[in-house]
Amino acid sequence: MPTAQFDSTLERREASLLGMWAFLATEVMFFGPLFFGYWHGRLYQPDAFVAGSHHMHIVLGTLNTALLMTSSLTMALAVRAAQHGRPLRTWLGLTALLGLAFLGIKATEWLMEFGDAANASGGEARFYFLYYAMTGLHAVHLTVGVGVVAWLWMHARRFNAAYHAPVEVSGLYWHFVDIVWVFLYPMFYLLERYR
Amino acid sequence: MTPPLAMSYVLTWLVLMVFLALTVGSSYIAMGPWNTAINMGISCAKAALIALFFMHLRGAGALLRIAALAGLLWLALLFGLGWSDFGTRSISPAAWSR
Repeated sequence: MPTAQFDSTLERREASLLGMWAFLATEVMFFGPLFFGYWHGRLYQPDAFVAGSHHMHIVLGTLNTALLMTSSLTMALAVRAAQHGRPLRTWLGLTALLGLAFLGIKATEWLMEFGDAANASGGEARFYFLYYAMTGLHAVHLTVGVGVVAWLWMHARRFNAAYHAPVEVSGLYWHFVDIVWVFLYPMFYLLERYR
Repeated sequence: MTPPLAMSYVLTWLVLMVFLALTVGSSYIAMGPWNTAINMGISCAKAALIALFFMHLRGAGALLRIAALAGLLWLALLFGLGWSDFGTRSISPAAWSR
């Protein structure tokens, strides 16, 4: 039975999902100004942005995109396992490991690019500022996501076909972080690669 | 609502991977401003796939769909207002940014 403030278990489930979607709307607002700053720079200093982008490691960036999209698949399968009351630790573990692999590769890239970034000036310096700020903010979100998935993994036995809202809601967050990266990847790695 | 089949998630992932290959491949073909348009178009398609299938918006009720679109609506409003400023004025750099 749901607690007094809900009329049905369906309503309770939708309330938790609505809460997460409302939070994700504020997250869109949180990332929004950085995206605005990026497109302003891209329009007014296009050559500097292309030059900055050519310092990015496209193989590592592409591999990371594939890893993160695969982690979304394993997260979706974890949510599905929870909905059916099946064991979900394997899927949660894979999701967290893929997230950690992404963070490891990202940190390696940051170190590799730091020399170029420190010596950049003008529009290129702006490109690097946005690159570190946006991928950094994204990595903070992913780190929180890995922590949440680890917490779910520890408490996996609590969830069953009737109660799995925490898994579902965490899944929404994880996929949102994936969507942010889906936009960051072409914005930083794929500028005029044909040159 | 019955949960979707596992196969639908795997198919979504496969299409995402195909889109990733397309976006990388297209960026090595010179198309001028169309490269950016194609890359952003593919990103929007990927985001839509993730939202509809992985985040279950496809089977969600009106309330969740509205909440999901609310953030994008506000973002569009603020981008529109922001551009109406930057787009209609010339930039005079401050002394420290010259």
